[in-house]
Amino acid sequence: MKNFFRKRAVSLKECGSAVKNGDIWVKLSLLIMGMGYFGRKQILKGILMILLEVGVIASLVSVFLPYMSKLSTLGTVQREMIFDPLTMSETVNDYDNSLLILLYGIIGILIIIAFIALYIGNIKAVYRLQEMKKNGGHINSFKEDLMSFKNDKFHITLLTIPAIGVIIINVIPILFMICIAFTNYDETHQPPAYLFTWVGIKNFVRLFTNSQTLTFGYTFVRVLAWTLIWAVLATATTFIGGILLAQFINHEHTMAKGLWRTLFVITIGIPQFVTLLLVGKMFGDYGIVNTICENVGILDFFKHIGLLKQSAGYIPFLSQPGWAHVTIILVNIWVGVPYQMLVATGILMNIPSDQIESAKIDGATKFQTFWKITMPYVLFITGPSLIQSVIQNINNFNVIYLLTHTYKTTNMALANSNANEVDLLITWLFRLTNEYSNFKMASVIGIITFLISAALSLLTFSRMIGGDKEEVYR
Amino acid sequence: MKKKLVSALLISTMALTAFVGCGEKKEEKPAEGGSGTESQGEVSSEDAIANLIASTEGTVDIELWCSETEAYQKVMKERCDAFEAQYPDVDFNITIGSVSEADMKDKILEDPEKAADVFVFPDDQLEALVKAGAINEIQAQYTYKIDEVDTETTIEPGSYDGKQYGYPFTASNGYFLYYDSSALSEEDVASWEALTAKADELGKQVGFEVANGWYLYGWFAGAGCSLTENADMSNNCDWNSEAGLAAAESLAKVTSAKSFKSYGNDDLLANLNDGKVVAYVSGTWNVNAFADAYGDGYAAAKLPTFDVNGEAKQMGSYCGYKYVGVNSFAANKGWSMLLAEFLSNEESQVAVYKATGEGPSNKAALAEASSPALDALAEQSYYATLQRVGGNYWTPAESLGKNILEGNVSQQLLDDAVAGIEQPVDAAQ
Amino acid sequence: MKKTSKIVARHIFLALLAFIWLIPIIWLVVTTFSAQKGINTNHFFPEHWTLANYHQLFFEPDSAANFPAWFKNSMIIGVCCCIISSLFVIMTAYAFSFLRFKGRKQLMSFSLILGMFPGVLSMIAIYFVLKLIGLTDSLLGLIVVYSGASGLGYLILKGFFDTIPVSLHEAAKLEGASEATIFSRIVVPLSKPMIVYTVINSFLNPWMDFVMARLMIKSKDPSQWTMAIGLFNLLQRALINQYFAYFCCGGLMVALPIAILFIVMQKFYVEGVTGGAVKG
Repeated sequence: MKNFFRKRAVSLKECGSAVKNGDIWVKLSLLIMGMGYFGRKQILKGILMILLEVGVIASLVSVFLPYMSKLSTLGTVQREMIFDPLTMSETVNDYDNSLLILLYGIIGILIIIAFIALYIGNIKAVYRLQEMKKNGGHINSFKEDLMSFKNDKFHITLLTIPAIGVIIINVIPILFMICIAFTNYDETHQPPAYLFTWVGIKNFVRLFTNSQTLTFGYTFVRVLAWTLIWAVLATATTFIGGILLAQFINHEHTMAKGLWRTLFVITIGIPQFVTLLLVGKMFGDYGIVNTICENVGILDFFKHIGLLKQSAGYIPFLSQPGWAHVTIILVNIWVGVPYQMLVATGILMNIPSDQIESAKIDGATKFQTFWKITMPYVLFITGPSLIQSVIQNINNFNVIYLLTHTYKTTNMALANSNANEVDLLITWLFRLTNEYSNFKMASVIGIITFLISAALSLLTFSRMIGGDKEEVYR
Repeated sequence: MKKKLVSALLISTMALTAFVGCGEKKEEKPAEGGSGTESQGEVSSEDAIANLIASTEGTVDIELWCSETEAYQKVMKERCDAFEAQYPDVDFNITIGSVSEADMKDKILEDPEKAADVFVFPDDQLEALVKAGAINEIQAQYTYKIDEVDTETTIEPGSYDGKQYGYPFTASNGYFLYYDSSALSEEDVASWEALTAKADELGKQVGFEVANGWYLYGWFAGAGCSLTENADMSNNCDWNSEAGLAAAESLAKVTSAKSFKSYGNDDLLANLNDGKVVAYVSGTWNVNAFADAYGDGYAAAKLPTFDVNGEAKQMGSYCGYKYVGVNSFAANKGWSMLLAEFLSNEESQVAVYKATGEGPSNKAALAEASSPALDALAEQSYYATLQRVGGNYWTPAESLGKNILEGNVSQQLLDDAVAGIEQPVDAAQ
Repeated sequence: MKKTSKIVARHIFLALLAFIWLIPIIWLVVTTFSAQKGINTNHFFPEHWTLANYHQLFFEPDSAANFPAWFKNSMIIGVCCCIISSLFVIMTAYAFSFLRFKGRKQLMSFSLILGMFPGVLSMIAIYFVLKLIGLTDSLLGLIVVYSGASGLGYLILKGFFDTIPVSLHEAAKLEGASEATIFSRIVVPLSKPMIVYTVINSFLNPWMDFVMARLMIKSKDPSQWTMAIGLFNLLQRALINQYFAYFCCGGLMVALPIAILFIVMQKFYVEGVTGGAVKG
């Protein structure tokens, strides 16, 4: 962070000295961005720059500034309409839309930041041209400039469009939702008919308070605990299951390895919204699994050993806490193991065979070789990706939502916060937005989820992009 | 924003020219301001429609959302065609979208500006729609007057804070008991105790969805408990009283019978088709399914009584209504209002009744309608109350119902449930 | 002797496991032939068999179900996203792996942080951004949503590119090849399996997603939906009893192209998944 600011300061200083030492063209480009290029006979580039400047300023003034000026209040004029029964027509006042103000405001700010960066870069570039001319260096023609996008500036060619996509689909929405966490955007403050406004950190305070009626604090702790337990268990079970299955299929005595693998892989091929909804129906209170269990006596057996009450008419696979948690983990094994098996197969094929051979000669049993050689090797290789998949499981929306979207809780405190025992943070926030229009609390939960993921990622962060590891492989 | 302003300007100028054009012909017509109240006679309605037709240019796009069932879609399509035929000079493009009625408000509130111009919704969603400013107040009527043609009970639930928002559409969205008269006698369906006993004997299934606040209310209401809504949309609830506890205990006793099932709609239909269910609490939306399953034995009755400390209590219910609403962001508000009126008029209600079996709210249409289901509903209506309840009721009530099903009835449970139901509105936000 | 019995036992165990894994799929398949349109909770196999559901699926679109249109829409989205996303991913991965430029590390860290935000949260905001551009309710809008941010998914491919020797890159440069030429002539051919993996994933992502599509498409006209929205919609309480068998047919048809793709491309896929895991 510190580094970042130091760099900006240096950049500003460079810019300042450029203006001080620059000639008339450099000084002119303070006002009109393309001028410096005209001075060096780069007419086309100059025209492009001017067009860019005019375009940015025009769009800012005509579209964004009116919204940005209202950012501090998020709008004050509520929508009103007057209906004229005689003409059956309606006039609507010029109302504010808090949502658009926030959205346009964010985009406007981003444009301004980008423009300032471009502006400073422009002055520096123009000054560099001046220096080059003084020293008799070669000044690129427009064609040569274009060619450089295939070589020195190839990264710009490659990254510009994907980066714009990321900014539109990722950066702007994320900034927007972060802002929502500090507003009162909820059921009773929904634009366009009503306004919402800034409320500071009130929503965060709410998440950590607890009373009989306000149960967000309690609910948050419960949901967070299950989210973490789920993430670790889901990752561990599918990982171990995957390796065992891969090991089993890869065994020298197994025939038709490809066939077995294909049989398991088929389950990945069917979209989760089909398989999970189907499995959810199968395990319903009155679903086919319950019918079968009742017919073959499993239901009575569970009653007999005290797992179920005598009065129970079905096994609550997905409708009671405890039962539902176990079922979800089991179904997740069903979903996740084939995928992990594919991963493990690939890794096991690359395992150094000499180690296993020498272990064999030393008289180690198969079990020992597996735990002492195979597992450590696999763990060593997949360690960082394991933490990644824990993070993915924290955000595993599909499995939980598709299996339990009809789950009803019996815990009043959870019910009062619109959550249930099997909710992850992510499904809770989805429910809050989709069913209860409670955007502000959903955003707060989203930010907390992000912080948890980020903290976990720090563990793998250095290994993935830090240091010079990537060069070492080559 | 700018675009909106321009179009608003455009509409008002267009309206103004139309107005001037008409003014030349009919000099005696009063100028704006208070002229369009409901007390106005038929003449001005015709003028208004003439004004509207004159000011309409190009195609009128209207989107209509209603139930996704095939019968509904078909009859609504027919009615829309009839509407188009009524105004041959205007070029309409009416599209009909299928949205489950239970989700109607959620789908509209996702983005009211993109939602349907005209939509059919059940009365319990009105409050949320008004709160979000998504539904248009009916400030004037043109082809009929709600308070003249519709039954009184159906008008009030379509209003909020004294303003009318919904055009009454059907009056049969409540619940009652379907049963198979070839297996059960009228005495059997008179009380839950007799019903479960008989079903146990037959090895068949009966019940109602206990883990659902909508149905659960009927039980507690029948036992004399109350649930009311305050002005701030929080609730008042006395289910943790002695009477409430007794009601919960009697419910737990009934549900503990082997034959009692608390099915959601899809499980109910699956088991009904399998011939397992002989009596169940449901509504007109399932009328065809029950009629098919029971054949000649198809019958319906008011809800059974239940026993509290030796005293038979009549199970209550919510009466439900459906309304046609106009989106307050509708682009062609005039035409949308006319279409909403058309879809809820007598002729349309008769057509809908014939297609779906849902009972009309229109007095004249109601006189023509008669079926076992509607008769049962009429009988039950003496014990039914209007659904006026704040949003914080549903989740705690659902949990309460589930707890009762599991047999965990205690004073503590009811206290917790009531605390949840009564929680201040802002707290849960 | 003991050995053979052990081998037999091993295969029986595998068969048992595979059977458990396939039960839901078998149920899916047999239900497609069920004459009972609703969900059957009492029998695993249908009581009466019929092909009518398939006929309805392909030839009888109605007000709630229009499979041919859904399939077409999903296919268009899938193919377009497949092309755009694959390009984005390859371009980003190449830039981060082979090129050294100012701000590279910062950009990579930044992209990692972005990837950690729960996607479900920003969906509503994405909807409003799309509305701003005027792309809601259109296939183009969905394509933009699915492929727009795909550049962030470069990590796995970059991990693979990192294993291509730098010397190759430098030799080509010495011979006067531009970065663009190296990219298209050397790097792409060398990383075929990984690129196949990327392409498959780019296709599957939109093909299998339902949450995003449900939020982005507000139209209530079934012919405008994608397969995921349409099929999900059929499980609503008012429809499930008329359309459960139809849903299963649809689900099977969705799965068919992918299952074939998977079986054919299994080798590539294994390499891809593994590369990702190793390089993370």
